[in-house]
Amino acid sequence: MTERTQDEKYLKKRKAHSFALKALIWLCGILTVGILVYILLFILVRGIPNINMKFLFGQYDSETLSAFSSIIATIEIIVISLAAALPIGVFCAIYLTEYARRGNKAVKVIRLAVDTLAGIPSIVYGLFGMIFFVGILGFRTSVLSGICTVSIMILPVIISSSEEAIKAVPDMYREGSLGLGATRLRTVFKIVLPTAMPGILSGVILAIGRIVGESAALIFTSGTNVLKAPTLDLTASQRTLAIHMYMLAGEGLPHHRDMAFATGAILIIIVFAVNMAATKLASKIGREQ
Amino acid sequence: MVRSKITNTEHKINLYENVMQIVFFISALVSVMAVIAICLFLLLRGIPAIAEIGFMNFVFNEKWGPANVPASYGILSMIVGSMYVTAGAIVIGVPIGLLCAVFLAEFCPDNLYRIVKPAVNLLAGIPSIIYGFFGMEIVVPFVRESFGGNGFSILSASIILGIMILPTVISISESSIRAVPSSYAEGSLGLGATKEETVFRVVVPAAKSGVLTSIILGIGRAVGETMAVVMVAGNSVMPLNKIALLKPIRTLTTNIVTEMSYASGLHEASLIGTGVVLFVFIIILNTALSLLKSKSSRN
Amino acid sequence: MIKNKKVLFVVSVMILLVLAGCSKEKTSSGFSSDKEITVVARDAASGTRGAFHEIMGIIKKQGETQVDNLVVGAIEFDGTDKVITAVEGDKYAIGYISLGSVSERTKAVAVDGVKPTVENVKSGAYSVSRPFLLVTKGSENNLVKDFMKFAESAQGQKIVNDMKYIASAEASSEYTSSGMSGTIKVAGSTSVTPLMEKLQEAYQQLNPDVKFEMQSNGSSQGIKAAIDGSYDIGMSSRELKDEEAKQLNKHILAIDGIAVIVNNDNTFDGLSGSDITKIYTGEITKWSEVK
Repeated sequence: MTERTQDEKYLKKRKAHSFALKALIWLCGILTVGILVYILLFILVRGIPNINMKFLFGQYDSETLSAFSSIIATIEIIVISLAAALPIGVFCAIYLTEYARRGNKAVKVIRLAVDTLAGIPSIVYGLFGMIFFVGILGFRTSVLSGICTVSIMILPVIISSSEEAIKAVPDMYREGSLGLGATRLRTVFKIVLPTAMPGILSGVILAIGRIVGESAALIFTSGTNVLKAPTLDLTASQRTLAIHMYMLAGEGLPHHRDMAFATGAILIIIVFAVNMAATKLASKIGREQ
Repeated sequence: MVRSKITNTEHKINLYENVMQIVFFISALVSVMAVIAICLFLLLRGIPAIAEIGFMNFVFNEKWGPANVPASYGILSMIVGSMYVTAGAIVIGVPIGLLCAVFLAEFCPDNLYRIVKPAVNLLAGIPSIIYGFFGMEIVVPFVRESFGGNGFSILSASIILGIMILPTVISISESSIRAVPSSYAEGSLGLGATKEETVFRVVVPAAKSGVLTSIILGIGRAVGETMAVVMVAGNSVMPLNKIALLKPIRTLTTNIVTEMSYASGLHEASLIGTGVVLFVFIIILNTALSLLKSKSSRN
Repeated sequence: MIKNKKVLFVVSVMILLVLAGCSKEKTSSGFSSDKEITVVARDAASGTRGAFHEIMGIIKKQGETQVDNLVVGAIEFDGTDKVITAVEGDKYAIGYISLGSVSERTKAVAVDGVKPTVENVKSGAYSVSRPFLLVTKGSENNLVKDFMKFAESAQGQKIVNDMKYIASAEASSEYTSSGMSGTIKVAGSTSVTPLMEKLQEAYQQLNPDVKFEMQSNGSSQGIKAAIDGSYDIGMSSRELKDEEAKQLNKHILAIDGIAVIVNNDNTFDGLSGSDITKIYTGEITKWSEVK
C-alpha cells in the first residue's frame, strides 16, 4: 500500500517535472520569436514614418540625407561580387563533389580552407582588405576594394550551399545521362547543375543577405564617402546602406538620427524580402524531393 | 574521312573536358589561396609590430595607451574582455537556443513551425548594426534600470551577443536533434518515460556532437562580432582587477574598429596585431570544430 | 487544438512585448546626488577629445612624457550622437560635444559660470573652444585654392555662422565663381563634416563641375591623409601638433565651442572647470562631491 502511494507520488513528481520542462521549452520558443518581433517593431515603427521619396531617390545633401547612392552602391557591390564569387564557388563545389576522388588530400585541404573562411570574422576581412586591396594592390579606398573583400567573404556560403545541392542530386540522373553517352562535363552542366539550381540560388540569397548587412568589412575598404548622385565608377569610394546607417547614427543631429532609423527600416525590409525568397525556395526544394 | 572527323570531335571534347577540369580545380584552390593570403598579409603586418612591442608586453600587459608618451600597447584587458563577453553570450544564448531547438524539433505543431522557423532565419539575417542600435536604445537602459551601473557593460554586450548567436545554436542543434534515429525515442517512450524525459535524457544526449558544434560556431560568431558590441560595451580599457559584470569593457574587435581610423605607424600595426590575436582565436575554434567533425564522422 | 496553440502563442508574444514596454515606462524618478557619475568621453581619434582633454588638463605633460589621465571605466564612443544618446538616457552621465550639436535632448552646463553660447565663445569668455582647421600640403592646386578662397569668403563664413559655429575672421572679400572643374578629396574630422557638407553644397551651386569625395574618419586620419598626399584637404577639429604643423598649410575655418553636457534631470546647471577635470580624472566619482 505504502509502496503504491510512493510510486504515485513519484509519478506525480515526474509528471510535474515534465510539465515544467514543457512550459520552459514553449517559453523559449516564444521568447525567440518575441525578441525578433520586438527588434523589428523597434526599427520599423520609428523608421517607416521617416522614409520619403527624397530620401529614397533624391540627391544626397545635408537636408535629404538621401540613401539613393548608398542603395545603388550596395546593389553594385552585390551584383559584381556575386558575378565573381558565384562561378568560382559553384566550380569549386563541382570539383569537390563530381571530380575529386574520395580521400583526396587536396579535398581535405580545400574543405579546411572553406571552413576557415566561413569562420573568419568580418572585421578581419576588413583588415585584410585594407592591407591587401587598398594598400598593396593600390585600389585605394574604393568600391572595387570593397567588392574584392566581400567576394572572398561570401565564397564559403556559396560553396557549401552549392555542394549540398549538388550532393542531393540523385546518382540515377548522372548514370542515366552518362549511359546515354553524354560526357561527364555535359552531364554536369545539363543535368546536375539545373537540378541543383534551387539550392545554389538559396546560397546566392544568403550571400546577398550577408552583403546587405555587412559593415565591419566594408568600412575599411569601400569607405564612408557618400556621393550626391549614384555612380557606377568602381574607383570611387562609396558607403553601403549599412554604413550609411552607422554614419548617420554617429552625427549628433536629431534629423540624422531619424534618418538612421529610416535606413534601418529599409535594411530590415530588404533582409525580410531576401529571407522570404530563401524560405520559398527552400520549401520548393523540399516539395520536389 | 568520316572516321577522322569523329576522332577529331572526340579529341576536341576531350580537350574541353580536360580544360574545364583544370578550371574547376583552380576555382577550388581559390579559397585555399585566400586563406593563405589572409594569413600571410595579416602576419606580415602584425608580427613585426608584436615583435617591436615585445610579445609578452603585447599579450600579457593590461596597459593600453597609444596616445601616451611613451606609448604602451598591452591588449590583455581586451583579450579577457572578449572572453568574458563571449562567455556571457554562451550562458545566455545556449540554454535558450537549445530549448528553442528542442521546441522546433519535438514540440512545435506544424503550422506554427511555418512561423517560427522563418523567424529564426530572419534573426540570423538582421544586420549587426541594427542589433547594435537595438542594444543601445533598449538593452542598455534595461540593464541600467534593472541591475544598476550605467548600462554600457559586459552584461549588455552579453545579452546582445546571446541574441545574435541564437539562430546559429538553434538551427544546428535542431537539425542534429532531428537526425537522432526515432528508434531511440521510441525505446524510451515504450519504457514509460514521458516525452520531456525522453527528449532530455535520450534524444539531446544522442545529438551531443551537433549541439557542441553549434556552441563552437556560436563562440566564433560572438568573438568576432564588432559593430553591435561597439555600441553597447562602452569601450573602456579596464585593468583586470576592475572588470565587473556591470562595468564597461573593450574587446579585441572593438579596439580595432574604434581606433583604426586614426592610427598610424606602430599604433596601426599594433591594431593589426590585435587582429592577428583575434585570428589565432578563430583558428583554434576552427581546429576544435574540425576535430569534432572528424570524431563524429568516425563514430 | 492546434489552432488554439497558435492563438496562445501569438498572445504570449504580445504579453511579452507589453511587459517589455512596461519595464521601459518606470523610468522617471528624481535625481539622487549620491549616485556615481557616468563619465562619457570620445574615442582617442577625436579632435574634440584631443582639444577637451588638453584644455581641461586631463592630459598631463611632464617633459617628454605625456599621459591621458582619463578615469578608468569611462565610456568611449566614436561619434557625437552616441555620446548624446548615452547622456540622454543616463541621469548621472556627463559628456562633451561640439557646441553646434547641442540640442534639447541634453543640458549644456555653464563652465566656471559662463554659459556655452556662440557669443561667449566669440568674446573669449567661454574658454573651452577649439579651431576647425582645413589643412593642405605644399602648393595647392588652383581648384583647392579656389575652394579655400570660397571657404574664407563672406559667403563661406556666413554658412559657418548659420551652422552656429563662430566665423574665424571678419571676411570682407566676396567670392565669385571662376568656373572650375575637377574633384577635391577631403578627409578627416567627424565634427567638421556637417559644416563641410554645407560648404561643399554651396560651392557646387556656384561651380557645378566640381565634385567632392569625403571620408569622415577622424581628425588624425585627415591630417595623416593630407600629409601623405592621398587627400587634397584634411579636416581637423584640434590644433596641429608641432611636427604636423611643419608639413602643412593651415586654414582656420571656424571656431567651435565644446559644450559639457549632462542629463536633463541633472540638478546642476553649472560646473567649475576644476571639478570637470576631477570628474574626468576620477578624483570625483559622485555627484554629491561636486561643489
